[in-house]
Amino acid sequence: MNENVHALIGAYAVDAVSPAERVEFEAHLGACDDCSVELVGMREAAAVLAEAEAVAPPASLKGRVMESIAQTPQLAPLTSDDAASPDADPASTVPAEGAPSAVPLASSRKRLWPRLALAAASAAVLAVGGLVGSSLVERRQDDLALEKDVMMVTSAPDAHSMDLGLGTAHLVVSEKMESVVAMGDDCPHPKDGMSYQLWLVMDDGTKEAGPTFMPDEDGTFMAIMEMDMEGAAAIAVTEEPMGGSAEPTSAEVAVVEL
Amino acid sequence: MSAQRRERGLRAVPDGSPASATPAEARRDDAARLADLLVRSGRGDASAFEQLYDALAGTVHGLALRIVRDPHLAEDVAQEVLVEVWRVAARYRPDQGSARAWVLTIAHRRAVDRVRSEQSHADRVIAHGARQSGDVEHPEQVVEAMDAEWRAARVRRGLAALTPLQREAVELTYYKGYTNRQLAESLEIPLGTAKARIRDAMIRLRDAWEVAR
Repeated sequence: MNENVHALIGAYAVDAVSPAERVEFEAHLGACDDCSVELVGMREAAAVLAEAEAVAPPASLKGRVMESIAQTPQLAPLTSDDAASPDADPASTVPAEGAPSAVPLASSRKRLWPRLALAAASAAVLAVGGLVGSSLVERRQDDLALEKDVMMVTSAPDAHSMDLGLGTAHLVVSEKMESVVAMGDDCPHPKDGMSYQLWLVMDDGTKEAGPTFMPDEDGTFMAIMEMDMEGAAAIAVTEEPMGGSAEPTSAEVAVVEL
Repeated sequence: MSAQRRERGLRAVPDGSPASATPAEARRDDAARLADLLVRSGRGDASAFEQLYDALAGTVHGLALRIVRDPHLAEDVAQEVLVEVWRVAARYRPDQGSARAWVLTIAHRRAVDRVRSEQSHADRVIAHGARQSGDVEHPEQVVEAMDAEWRAARVRRGLAALTPLQREAVELTYYKGYTNRQLAESLEIPLGTAKARIRDAMIRLRDAWEVAR
């Protein structure tokens, strides 16, 4: 699907990726069986490299580890119904195979617009790129929070990926997580003074405002929109003045039918 | 039928010693044993975890040491990784690869994350100085010395199958924790070239060792 993301497999296998690239590649893995299979072989090869490095640890380590595990609760196994949590399993990043591709909307049918509205209001916080104004520390914390949320979505068992049409950017949609993630690494910049804004296009043609986002100088961005899919027909992107609009003020630059 | 499959798997054996005694054969038995131990660990079996520890702690620790360099830090990382293995063991799925690779993936990521957070203070990443594999002297006793020789030879053979540029890419990313972007910038090559180089290197290593299933 996405040539750029696909090319990251070697770097991903040896952890030579940034946190954003890691998230992006893991989203790609869920949609790309070839990469999932290829990754297994590369990881085994990496393990061979590691084996040659074996050095016995101090004998005291064993006692400390055994003592520590006695007090460490264990995670339960994942089932196909579970949305993988981002820190559940740092190694097994390949999303569950055979997971249902369409999960019935089970529990909450309520709209999560209050959170979304908040997201739009603090759009600069939610988009990784273009955080010129915020301090590095804040930015780092915001990035981590965003990456964690994004990971929750992209590792959901029903997560699926669609091309967005801004460079090679794509959407990852999880009905189970009631979220849409948009990300890319070669996104063209909007006109001066403008930022991109996501919209949820409903069956009746009305549009509900989502967060704004701005690619950084490399064209990298990541944004998340929490939403109930019910009644949604498409996701659209427009260029809007900084801070976003309540109604679209320009034609769509991208539309993805759901 | 299954004998044929075994034949294929044996091609990585260095010489024609009797099949049952080859390191590759022992390795396969070892792999099945480790998978079993990891699965049992996931169900809360501490004695299975202890055996897993005995089998893998040396590699986890050695890998951490190679990457973070500092012995105390390496010990910390090894402890964190091994406890993490216990914590998430139930998430291991044998169809996603060997137990060894699964554990070492956790170990590598943790060590690399640690070295990056150290580097963000010390900025060590700027001094490039690529090293050839194996130039680090570990004063400590190498575990399982007999097998270690075979392993080292295997790695040398694999690395020898790489071009010098690919070897350098593996060295800087896998052993030093460079990201693909850092690799591109330190070698002054395009980002796409860096990504492709790492990928090609890992494919070649995989093929050299025939570790793909």
